[in-house]
Amino acid sequence: MKVLIVDDSQIMRKIITGVLKKLKVNDILEAVNGQEAVTKVSENEDIGLVLMDWNMPMMNGLDAVKQIRASGSKVPIVMCTTEAEKERVLEAVKAGSNDYLVKPFNPKDIQNKLGKFLAACTT
Amino acid sequence: MKVEYINPFIQSVQETFHSMMDCKVSHGKPFPTKDDGLSDNLIGIIGLSGTAQGNIAIKFPAETAKTIVGGLVGTTFTEIDSSVVDGVGELVNIIAGNAKAKIQGHRISISLPTVFRGGIHKLTTPSVSYLTIPFNSNKGAFEILISFRPTVNEKEEALHESAYSG
Repeated sequence: MKVLIVDDSQIMRKIITGVLKKLKVNDILEAVNGQEAVTKVSENEDIGLVLMDWNMPMMNGLDAVKQIRASGSKVPIVMCTTEAEKERVLEAVKAGSNDYLVKPFNPKDIQNKLGKFLAACTT
Repeated sequence: MKVEYINPFIQSVQETFHSMMDCKVSHGKPFPTKDDGLSDNLIGIIGLSGTAQGNIAIKFPAETAKTIVGGLVGTTFTEIDSSVVDGVGELVNIIAGNAKAKIQGHRISISLPTVFRGGIHKLTTPSVSYLTIPFNSNKGAFEILISFRPTVNEKEEALHESAYSG
């Protein structure tokens, strides 16, 4: 199974990729905005987890989650974002995201939050 | 500028550097932002809108930017390339996003970050002055620049919030 990292920041994609590789997840795809994420999810049925930023150009993460769910995909989506307010979290959950990771985070935070999803990806 | 608007940004800087780079930062006394001449800085800036408006910027000397962004990804940058520029933008994004969640009684949205290189000659937002907060860390000194002006009375917003949640 593949993990899709969606973030307009190349540094953030690199940080998350580094953590995932340490967790033995090597099949990683990247998207730089929500539109690209929607396309990659539709083209890669073997994606097992999507890590989705919120604030991105072209299409933001929330709209991407809505489009992915509207397409019928049930892929687990974890929002990885600076949007920490309670109403934002609720908005993301209502749109169809499965979990929420607030930036700033360290590798341990990513590992703890994604453990259950990554277990499914690596088995 | 009220201390309850400044402290969330200071806390956010400290949390971001500690969480992402295991780096402790200390800060000095805030002062009105002034012209810094033609120095070689990388400045990441992000807009705030909603019940308050303004901007937050992070200003690194170029050398410090390379060290700090290198610390984020465990590498050494020898020049200011697109990764360093991207890293400065992501840092101001995280700091602004984290701070806005700590500011009580306001609903604030943040823009996408913009990064530019050079010095500060004049930073102005209509009727809002900028405050500079100097920071120091073992990776180098840097500054946070804040302009913040509530556009909605806090009591009004609190009423709106209770109506919204109720």
